[in-house]
Amino acid sequence: MIKPKTDLPQGTLDMLILRVVALEPIHGYGIAARLKQISKDVLQVQQGSLYPALHRLENRKWLAAEWRPSETGREAKYYSLTKAGEKQLALEDDNWQRLTAAVRLVMKSEAAP
Amino acid sequence: MNWLRRLFHGDQLERQLETELSYHVERRIAELISEGVDLQEATRRVRIEFGGEGQVAEACRDARGTRWVEDFLRDCRHGIRMLRRSPGFTIVAILSLALGIGADTAIFSLMDRVMFRMMPVREPQRLVVITRFHPPYGAAHVSYPLFQSFQKELRSFDSLLARNTITGVDIKIDGSIEPVNFDLVSGSYFQLLGLGAAVGRMFDESADRAPGASAYAVISYRYWERRFASNPAVIGKTFKRLNTMFTVIGVTPREFFGTVVGEEPDITVPLTMDAQVRGGDSWLQQPDYNWLTLMGRLKPGRTISQARAETEKVFANIVTADARKDQYDRDRRARLNEYVEVQPGGNGFDDLRRRFGEPLVILMAMVALVLLLACANLANLLLAKSAARQSEIAVRLAIGAGPGRVARQLLTEGLLLAVAGGALGVLLAFVFDEGLVWMLSNGGPRMQLDVAPDGRVLLFAATVSLAACILFSLAPALQTMRQTFQPALSEIRASRWVLGKALIVAQMAISVLLLIGAGLFGRTLLNMYAMDPGFDRRGVLLFSTNAARLGYTPEQFQRMQLRVPEELRAIQGVESAAVSKFPPISGGGWDGAFLVEGKDTAHSEDDVAHINSVGADFFKTFRTPILMGREFDQRDTETSPRVVVVNEAFARHAFADRSAVGKWVAFEGPERSTHYEIVGVVKDVKYESVRGGFPRTVYMMAAQVPPGPDSYTFALRARPGVGPAAIAAALASVDRSLRPANVISLEDHVSRSLLRERLVATLAGFFGVQGLLLSAVGIYGVMAFQVARRRREIGIRIALGANTGTVIGMVLSQTARLTLLGSAIGACCGLVALRGIGEMLYQVGPNDPATFLTAMTGLLAVALAAAYLPGRNAARANPVDTLRTE
Repeated sequence: MIKPKTDLPQGTLDMLILRVVALEPIHGYGIAARLKQISKDVLQVQQGSLYPALHRLENRKWLAAEWRPSETGREAKYYSLTKAGEKQLALEDDNWQRLTAAVRLVMKSEAAP
Repeated sequence: MNWLRRLFHGDQLERQLETELSYHVERRIAELISEGVDLQEATRRVRIEFGGEGQVAEACRDARGTRWVEDFLRDCRHGIRMLRRSPGFTIVAILSLALGIGADTAIFSLMDRVMFRMMPVREPQRLVVITRFHPPYGAAHVSYPLFQSFQKELRSFDSLLARNTITGVDIKIDGSIEPVNFDLVSGSYFQLLGLGAAVGRMFDESADRAPGASAYAVISYRYWERRFASNPAVIGKTFKRLNTMFTVIGVTPREFFGTVVGEEPDITVPLTMDAQVRGGDSWLQQPDYNWLTLMGRLKPGRTISQARAETEKVFANIVTADARKDQYDRDRRARLNEYVEVQPGGNGFDDLRRRFGEPLVILMAMVALVLLLACANLANLLLAKSAARQSEIAVRLAIGAGPGRVARQLLTEGLLLAVAGGALGVLLAFVFDEGLVWMLSNGGPRMQLDVAPDGRVLLFAATVSLAACILFSLAPALQTMRQTFQPALSEIRASRWVLGKALIVAQMAISVLLLIGAGLFGRTLLNMYAMDPGFDRRGVLLFSTNAARLGYTPEQFQRMQLRVPEELRAIQGVESAAVSKFPPISGGGWDGAFLVEGKDTAHSEDDVAHINSVGADFFKTFRTPILMGREFDQRDTETSPRVVVVNEAFARHAFADRSAVGKWVAFEGPERSTHYEIVGVVKDVKYESVRGGFPRTVYMMAAQVPPGPDSYTFALRARPGVGPAAIAAALASVDRSLRPANVISLEDHVSRSLLRERLVATLAGFFGVQGLLLSAVGIYGVMAFQVARRRREIGIRIALGANTGTVIGMVLSQTARLTLLGSAIGACCGLVALRGIGEMLYQVGPNDPATFLTAMTGLLAVALAAAYLPGRNAARANPVDTLRTE
């Protein structure tokens, strides 16, 4: 059994999914694989969180979905980013940058003697 | 919408979810295999990784935000299964709800139409109806000069309109003669109402300035459809009425049915054409001819009470001025008693509201009680069922359903019943409404009352259904929520049965109230039929003619009408025939002040009599007994000595115990000096209504009455075969164009005058029976359930030697106690609530003990009969079997 090596902060899974989907239309398995690959195996998303998240994002109309043949030949559900999804991604990216910058500042100041 | 997709493509979504997840699983397994893991190990690992496909799928469903739809659908499916499992209960529940909701909706729809519906005109809420009242006769019409004075002097209104209906008028169109209904309206009519023409144009106030020369006609949308197949070329078409050619200039809008509820005119013409339509002289200049009804539109910013105050003041001034011109004190006093009322008029001139407003409110209350009864009934049955389903519910609670979830399931079942009952109820409402309109039309042509349920009515039905659902399914649902920690299959707690008992008592109370109402209205109707009105209603035909519309002079008119009975007597099978101005129970009459021999100098205010003018054989035809002297016959002509016949009440009043025959009577007025000799005294006859009293009556000989504009009514006593055809033939021999109208038997004539009573009694009876049936079903169901629950106890009793009678007696005595308690409560409510209906009853008080007792015993008998079956079943049970299965 493979455990995620780092816990994802609350709410970041959605952002990560949006980011991955923004590259190209992709299915659920592909998203999990891509996340793992890009993060160099640091981030491993469990299916129990991935799929509900995908359905939630689809329900919010940030993701659109369509069925098309996959690389194995079987039909798979491909997600793509909607206009609203793009906006949401930009917003979350922005927030994330500010948050990490702020956190870094705080961490540095504490690190100084 | 996602939840809509969920609702309609639920299965597809489920399949897609499954495919999506299994795709992932396969890819992951393939990935592991490519890393060198064997298939079995790979499958195992992936399954652990996934943490259960079912749970992931469930989390996905939650994420979609359509959870409630899914739950609801599942509840519905489960509910339908449960309901199908007990079809008897389901059918009874849906039918009793449907009857209740259907009757509720039908009465509401009628009430809405009659009492609340606004006319489809501009700002109907600013319209008012101005009514003149003439004590003691009630609402009266107004004359054209009075209308003009109001128009000139009233400042609260933008404008006023006056109108009058003339029905059954013959017009000649395209060479054929056909009867139509006319509305005569002032030129302000269409403008005031804000009605534009559907086709063509309307006439306006210029029509008022050209009396007799504004031969324009606007036809109704229905007449246009019916008679002209909606052809726009109808504009410019002409038709002939008497000697005048009218030109059709427009069609009223489709949604407009006229200003009188239930009576739509075919043709609307200017009021100033009254002489041309009616024949004879115009009534426009006649201050004593009251024939118009008035409506006004309030000026912006004026309130109805300001308008009322102003109208009352202006009217009082006019009346005071007119009273100065009255020659006789009595007339003057009567005139000064007149007053006007200004009422909201947005729903039109409404005779229906006046006559049926009160009965409809009472019927609405009854129907609401019936529905309440149906709900109490269902609540009780559902309560019993939910107890019977205790084990199912306990299992559901045990496997993790929250009590709220289980309660929601029960509410969903209730909702299913309510929706089915409501839908069926709306269908029933259509049928009921047609029936009601048919009753209200009272044997005449179908009343123009559009009662098909519309949006408002459907909304009402939906609200009522929902309220009913909450009422009847809340009790069982609450019970379940309380039951959470109760061990499964335990004995029913006492509290549940207390609720059940309370519901039965409430049902019985409502039921007895309905039965008392039905009894009181039923007895009222019977009393009215049984009452002796002073004539024999069997074997007599009444009819009127179109004589007034043929355009004769008053003299010709009178002579022609008086010839009719002679021709009628010549018909084979006619025993006697007579003419009269007012037949009995015709709702109207003339009153006059009189002087009598020996009292001529000091006549009192009280010396007023109802005056009728009748021809020879009148009393013979109606079989009104002649107590003294004779009735009119061929001796009495236009030129013979003046004679009258009086009734008993008159003779008693004017002459006390002395004989009236041979004395003279005279009438106040210009003809005061003309003495009429009393030649006969007859039994009292009712004129106004069955409910009314016996007025003092003076009968004048028709031939000796000066010719006037009023039509006579004819009566003939004949063998059954004589009908309209024979009458028409006899009339044709008087005048080629004379035709009978409204041929009706005297029995039907009297019966029609009792429309209000018949309507209320019929419906109240219907509701009473419905309530009784519901109660019987309720008692049966609840007792059957009770007996089933107490099977063990009953088995032990039987085993210990109780016989059949004791067991049945146990069930019956419990039923009797509950029923008696319920009826006592219902009767007490009745004593208070029924006080208000006293006015609608006849020869029976609202607290009539016999009716109360009958209702209570009747209900008790039905309740006991309903409880007997379950009681007998319990008593027949074999105690050994019973004890073994428990």
